[in-house]
Parts: sequence; structure tokens; C-alpha cells
Amino acid sequence: MPTAFLPEEYLPIVIFMVIILAFGLGTLAVGIVLRLRRPYQEKLLPYESGNPPVGEPRYRFSVRFYIVAMLFVIFDVEAVFLYPWAIVFDQIGLYAFVEMMLFIAILVVGYVYAWKKEAFRWD
Amino acid sequence: MTLNDLAPLIPLMVIAVSSVIIMLGIAFYRSRAFSGLLTLAGIAVAFITLFGVQGTRQVTSLLILDDYALFYIGLILAASFVVALLSSDYLEGRRENIEEFYILLLLSTLGSSVLAASTHFVSFFIGLEILSVSLYALIAYTRNELNIEAGVKYLVLAAASSAFLLFGIALLYGETGTMEFSRMSSGISAQGINKGMLLTGFALVLTGVGFKLAVAPFHMWTPDVYEGAPAPVTAFVATVSKGGVFALLLRYFIQVDMHAYPSLFGAVAFIAVASMFAGNLLALLQKNIKRILAYSSIAHLGYLLVAFLAGGVMRVTAVTFYLVAYFITTLGAFGVVTMLSGKERDADAVEDYQGLFRHRPWLALIFSAMLFSLAGIPLTAGFIGKFYIVAAGAGSALWLLVIMLVINSAIGLYYYLRIIVVLYAQPGHSEVSAVSSLPLTGSLVLVLLTVLLLWLGVYPEPLIEMIHRMTMRF
Repeated sequence: MPTAFLPEEYLPIVIFMVIILAFGLGTLAVGIVLRLRRPYQEKLLPYESGNPPVGEPRYRFSVRFYIVAMLFVIFDVEAVFLYPWAIVFDQIGLYAFVEMMLFIAILVVGYVYAWKKEAFRWD
Repeated sequence: MTLNDLAPLIPLMVIAVSSVIIMLGIAFYRSRAFSGLLTLAGIAVAFITLFGVQGTRQVTSLLILDDYALFYIGLILAASFVVALLSSDYLEGRRENIEEFYILLLLSTLGSSVLAASTHFVSFFIGLEILSVSLYALIAYTRNELNIEAGVKYLVLAAASSAFLLFGIALLYGETGTMEFSRMSSGISAQGINKGMLLTGFALVLTGVGFKLAVAPFHMWTPDVYEGAPAPVTAFVATVSKGGVFALLLRYFIQVDMHAYPSLFGAVAFIAVASMFAGNLLALLQKNIKRILAYSSIAHLGYLLVAFLAGGVMRVTAVTFYLVAYFITTLGAFGVVTMLSGKERDADAVEDYQGLFRHRPWLALIFSAMLFSLAGIPLTAGFIGKFYIVAAGAGSALWLLVIMLVINSAIGLYYYLRIIVVLYAQPGHSEVSAVSSLPLTGSLVLVLLTVLLLWLGVYPEPLIEMIHRMTMRF
């Protein structure tokens, strides 16, 4: 029978969160109740630093998933290997250091390749 | 693992390093010649360093570099070398940026070599993934509609088969408590093992591997992918990819004695017979050379499985010799298709070959030699290979399988001879046979392959001696 986990020390935090939520929603509610409402067209336009907006906000653009995915693999896999390596580093010493440097060097080559192929040029 | 352990891995490292160097090279200065030559040099150096590995070297529990692994790695490297030579002229003008092709080619070669040397499920899976992931891109490389369709098909099915394989590995690991092939058999004979779980694991692994080898009933993707892939890549899929996986399967089932499991034995026997019949009967209906060769490769893998089921030392000899003959023949046949292919489409319709003998007698003769070898006609390597398989099957009294093999060889003869008849018929009106001039490297490669084919068919003793020496120390 596992003992029940009663986080009594966390009660102040819960109260704190409730107060934050109440304060936030309450302020918005007060604003809605009290403020004047006189809309006209210029007021309803999205604010773009004073310029009249150009085009639709919801236009389609290429997110280039595959390049993002490849870059993600480069950095994510690197991080996945680096964490366990860092934790046991003091036990395995120089050998592991050299191995990890090799691994990172190969990743850097991939990174340079992606860079030269202008994978980071976002337009 | 110590520095001393790295020495036997040098062949694999050479391949890996050359792919990284090519990638770095492309980043700064694109050059077709640089990428191509470095690839050939990398493969050649790796091949030479194979001879520097002395004796049997177990590197951690993952890889073993024994004579068997070295032989298969050598075979894989030689086949990749041929594919690299064939594709250099083929890719020209088919798309821009062809340099990356060589990176992918080297990586998949590396994956296949790792398979040939692995003694552990982890290295098995890593090798398989390195091989498949590069193949997805290679198959879709020239980016026409057929290519991309084939690439996506291969991607989806390879991913699904990897899932089967992984689940099978998980079950086997759960039952035996080890992922090493050599310790698995002692894990299996331990008390209190769940036979059902074990057999399910074997079945799932066999499904995953069966997909890679394209044996019936896991063969459905083969004709589409063979037809859609660029011709040199098709040659690569048919040889290097299957060779590595088969080398691994053979090693695995020698260390885990398959004959102890009648149901497993029965399943592989069923796969062998189904592959032979599916391959040969469906090939009769095809009008496309690449599809015919795809079905013929399904049938050939079926023949190989017959030898695989035979017991004793004989089976390693038979399988290895047959694989060498199959490599030479398949590379030669797809080499001819590659050479004749125009820029618009590959020369894959049977009509494209009508009257080839009148235009290009030498090419027609080479193609005929390859087809005769596939059919197993004497004086070619294919005949000796088939002879060894029948001998191995008969030696283990697998009479039913041997009879099936003989029946299928007869069926196979029909569609191979049909192509040969077309080759020597009156010329038709095909634009493909009017390809202006044949590239020199490709022609030399084809001549070399034909010489090898006939040499092994007439005087196979040196190779058989070599294989015997290799199996002695298994």
C-alpha cells in the first residue's frame, strides 16, 4: 500500500495562484464593465506602428518543415547525448572527451553544410 | 573499448570519414569530380584496409570482424564501387547538385557493412537504419514522379517493418535477457522460458528482415520501388542492401540454432517456396525489364533461403557463393539498363531492347550473359551457384524444397529467354536504342563484370577455396 502524497507545504502556493488568477480576471472584468465603447473603423484596425495595414494577416508562407526538422535533429540529438555524457564524465575521463569531441565535430560539419546551403536564411 | 579495438574498425571508419569530408567539401566548393573520386578512393582504401585486419576481432559486444564479416564487407564495398562508377555518368544532366548522391551512397554502404559485422541487436538495428534512411533519399534522388512515388513507398514500408523488427527484438530481449546473438541461445535454453513469446519475437524479427530482403509475402513493394528508382540505385537496393541483411540473418540463425524450432524452420521454408513461386510466376506477366528483374530477385532470394535452411558448413558456402554470383549478375543486368537509359526515362520497356544486337552487339552479348546467369545456364556463375544450393539442399535431404527449386528454375527460364529473343529480333522503333555513345567507365565495368561472371562459371575453385577457408574459422 503506497502512502498517500499530501503536499501540505504547497497550500500557500495554491492560494497564491488563486489570488493571481482572481486579480487578473477581476481587473479585466472591471475594465469591461466600466470602460466606454465607441468603435469606428480606424480604431478596429490592427496596430502596425501607425502605418495602414497591408494585406491579410493570415497569408500562407513556407515554414520549410524539413529544414527545421533536420536542424532540430542536429541540435536535439546532440543534447540527448550530451546530458548523460556530462553526468558520468568524471568517471570515464579523457576517452569519453575525445569521443564526444568527434561526435560534435561531425555535427558541426552538418551544421556548416546547412549554413552554406542557406538553411538559416529565413525569407 | 580501447584504442586497440579501433584498429579492426578502420575499414568502416574510412567510409564514414570520407562521407563527412565530402559533405564538408560540398559546403565550400561543389565539384562533381571531387565527390566522385573521393567516394571511389574511400571505398578502395576501405577495401584495402580489410586485408589489414588479422584474425577474428570482437569489438565490444556489438561488432565482430571475423573472416565472414570481412568477406561480406568486401563484397558490399566492391558492389558499391561498381554502383558509384555506373551512377557518375547516369546522374549527369538528370538533376543539379548531384554531389550529395555520393554521401548517401557511402552512408548506406556503411550501414550495410555494419550489418555484416554485427553480433548484437543494437548494432543490427543501427546498421539497418543507416542503410534505410540513406536509401529513402537515394531512391527519390532524381526527383521525377516515379522516383518520388517509389521513395515514399519505401519510406512508409521500411518504417513499418522497422516497427515489427523493434517489437520482435523487445520480445526476444524480454524473454532471454540479452541482445547478444551468441548469448541468446543459452538464454533460450534456460528454464522457465515462455515459448510462445519467444516464437512471436522470432516471427516479428523475421517479418522485419523479410521486408528488407523482399521475400514473399513481404515482397509487394519491390516491383514498384525497382521500377521507380534510378537504375544504378535499383542495382544498389538489389545487391548491397539485401547482401548485408542476408549476411546478418545467416550469422544470427547459425548462432541461434534455427533447427531447434520446427515452426520457425517451417515458416522460413514457406517463405522460400512462396518467394520462388511469387517471383517467377508474376515475372511472366511483366512487360517492364526493371519489374521483371525485381520479381526475379524475389525468386532468387527464395533460392537462397533453400540453401539457408540446409544444415552444416555447406550452407554458408552455398549461400555465399550464390550471393557473389547474384551480385555480379544483378549489377551487370542493371548496369546495361543504366547505360541504355536516356535522359527522359530509363530504358525499362522490353521493346526498348528489340534488336539491340544489331545496334550494339557487345552490349547485347553482355546482357545475354547476365540473363543466362540469372537463369542458371552452365558456363556462368549463376549455374555454379545454383548447383551449390541444390547440393546443400540435397545434402540435408530437403527434397521438397529442392524439387520446388528445380520447377521454378524451369519457369524462370521462360521469361529470361523471352528477353534474349527480343534482343536478337529485328530492330524496332525505339528512341532508347539510339543513345548516341556509351560512357567509357560504364562499358569497362560491364566488361569486367562479364569476365568475372564467366570466370566464376568456368573456374570457381579460387573463390570456393576462399569461402571454405572463411567457413572453417566460423
